[in-house]
Amino acid sequence: MKNQLPWYLLVSFLVMLALVWLSLHLGVYRFEEVSVLKIVGSFFTGDPSVSSTDAYIIGKVRLPRVVMALLVGSILAVAGTCLQGIFKNPLATPDLIGVTSGATLMAAVTIVLGESVRAFIPEVLHHSLVSLGAFMGALGAISVVYFIASGNGKTNVVMMLLAGVAVSSLGFALVGFMTYLAKDEQLRDLTFWNLGSLGGATWTKNAILAVVMLGTYSFLIFKGKALNAMMLGEKDAEHLGIRVERIKRLTVLFTALMVGTAVAFSGSIGFVGLIIPYILRLLFNSDYTVILPLSAVWGAILLLAADTVSRTIAAPAELPIGILTALLGAPVFIAILVRYKKSMGW
Amino acid sequence: MVKGHKIRYSHKNYSILKGVDVSVEYGDMLVIVGPNGAGKSTLLNVLANEIARNTEEVYFKQKHFREWDILDLSKNKAKFSQHYNGDIPLPVQEVVLMGRYPYYNSLPGSADLSAIEEAMKETGIWELREREYTLLSGGEKQRVHLARVMAQLKNEVVHKLVLLDEPLNNLDVKHQYLVLELMRAFAGRGNTVVTVLHDLNLAARYATRVLMMKNGQVLAQGTPGEVLTAEIISEAYAFPCSIWAHPVRHHPVILFGN
Repeated sequence: MKNQLPWYLLVSFLVMLALVWLSLHLGVYRFEEVSVLKIVGSFFTGDPSVSSTDAYIIGKVRLPRVVMALLVGSILAVAGTCLQGIFKNPLATPDLIGVTSGATLMAAVTIVLGESVRAFIPEVLHHSLVSLGAFMGALGAISVVYFIASGNGKTNVVMMLLAGVAVSSLGFALVGFMTYLAKDEQLRDLTFWNLGSLGGATWTKNAILAVVMLGTYSFLIFKGKALNAMMLGEKDAEHLGIRVERIKRLTVLFTALMVGTAVAFSGSIGFVGLIIPYILRLLFNSDYTVILPLSAVWGAILLLAADTVSRTIAAPAELPIGILTALLGAPVFIAILVRYKKSMGW
Repeated sequence: MVKGHKIRYSHKNYSILKGVDVSVEYGDMLVIVGPNGAGKSTLLNVLANEIARNTEEVYFKQKHFREWDILDLSKNKAKFSQHYNGDIPLPVQEVVLMGRYPYYNSLPGSADLSAIEEAMKETGIWELREREYTLLSGGEKQRVHLARVMAQLKNEVVHKLVLLDEPLNNLDVKHQYLVLELMRAFAGRGNTVVTVLHDLNLAARYATRVLMMKNGQVLAQGTPGEVLTAEIISEAYAFPCSIWAHPVRHHPVILFGN
C-alpha cells in the first residue's frame, strides 16, 4: 500500500538536484567556465583552470544561498505539516497561528534592544542571540495559541485562527514600535526580517540550520503514524500505544525551534508550511507517513524555486522572497477555506 | 482479567461513579446497561484507562495500568469509542491499518495486511476498502472503526480485552447481529468483551453477564436471567415491562409497556 514512498522520495530528490543545478547557473553573474560541477569540484581538487571569481561566486554567494533555501524551505514545510498534525487542521501553519510573528517580534526586540546587552556577552553569541530570541518568541506564540485553542484533545479552529490573529497583531504593533525606535543600520535589518530574504546566507548559518534540521527531523519525520492516529482522537491514539502528550509537547518545542531558527536567519518567509502540505494532501490524501517525509523535500524545492525567481526576475534587483511565497500562499489559503465551507454544508 | 474495586469518579463536583465494583473473567462478555446518565460510558472509560487519576482501583491482568507499558497494553486491549472523528481524509483501509500501528515501524508487514483484510471481511467492509472514509455513511464509518479495533487485537496474546461503547449505534439489524456474533465469538476464544448497549433484548441474547447501572451505582450484576427481571428493569428505567422466555433459546425476552 505504501511501498511507493521510496520512489516518490527518489523522484523528489532528483527534481531537487536538477533545480539546484539550474539555480546555480542562473543569476546576474555569468560564469567563464560552463560547468558548475567543475567549479564545485575545484574546491576539492584545487583545479587551477577555474577562475577565482567563478569559485568565489559559487562558494561564497550562490551555493550557500541555494543550500540555505533548501534548509529553510524544508524546515518551514515540515514545521507546518507537524503543526497541522497536532492541531488536527490544515490551517494550522506557523504563519497563520502567529508563530512566525512571535519569532519575528522577538528577533526585532533582540536586534533593537539587544544592543545594550551585547556588550556583556561574548562575540560568538551575538549571532545566536537573535536566533534565541526568535526561538523564544516562536515558543511563546505557539504555547499561547495552543492553550487558547485546544482542550479535551480537540482543537477549535476559529479560536486557533483568532488566537493567531491576536498574536500577529501584537507582533505587528511591537515590530512597528521597534522600527520607530531603531537606528538606521538596525532599520535595514528589520526590513529584511519583515519581508524575508535569503541574501544573508553564510556557511555558519547553514551549519546551524543543518544541526537544527537533523536534530528535529530525527524525531519528527518518524511520527507520521502518530499524527495519523491522532486524527482518530487523542484517547484513541493512546489506545494504539502512542504517547500522545509527549509527542505533542516535543512537537511544539521542535517546531518553535525550527521556525525560530529559520526566521532568525531568513526573516519571515510565509506560507511555505501551508502550500506544501496542501498540495501533498491533494496528491496523497492526508496520510502523514507519506506527506511528512515528502514535505521535507518539496518544501526545499518550493523555496529554492521561489528564491531563484526572486533574484532573477528583476535582476539585478531582488524581489523580496516573502512577497513571492505570499502570492502563492494566499490562493491556497482561500482554496482551503472554500473547501471548508463546502464540508460544513453552507 | 479486569477488576475494579469501589471505583469513584466525579467531574466538577458532580459525582458520576459512586463506588462501583466490577470484575470480569476470561471468556466473559459483560454488557453494561442502564438509563441515560447512569455512568455507563464513564465506567467503560475507567476500565479502558482513559481517566488516568482513577486507575488506582483498577487491575488489568493483576497489574495496575500504570505498571503496564503503553505499547504492550495496546496489544492486550483495544477500545471502540462512541464518538469518533467523521472527517479523516484517508481511504478505508488506511484507517483500519491504524489498528496495526503498534506492530510495525515504517512499513506494514504481511501479517498486518492479512490482519486488516480479515478484520474488514469480518465487519463487512471489505468491498469499501478503497473508498474515501469521509464519504461513508454513519453505520459504515462505525464498522470501519470496529474493523480497526479488531485488527488491533489480532495477535498471539492469549487473553485480550475489548471495550466497546455503544457499538450498535447507526447499524442496521443485520450488522447489529453480525457485530454481536463477532464479539461473542471473540469472547469464546478466551478473551473478554465489555460493552455498553441500550438494547436489553440484545443484551439478554448475547451477554454472559449483565451489569445494570443507575445513578452511578451498580443496581444489579449477574447472568442475564438474574439481572433482566421485571422488577430490576422497572426500577432502573422507571418504565413498566414484562419478561417472557425465548421460545427456542430460553433467554429472557423483554416487552416494554403495559
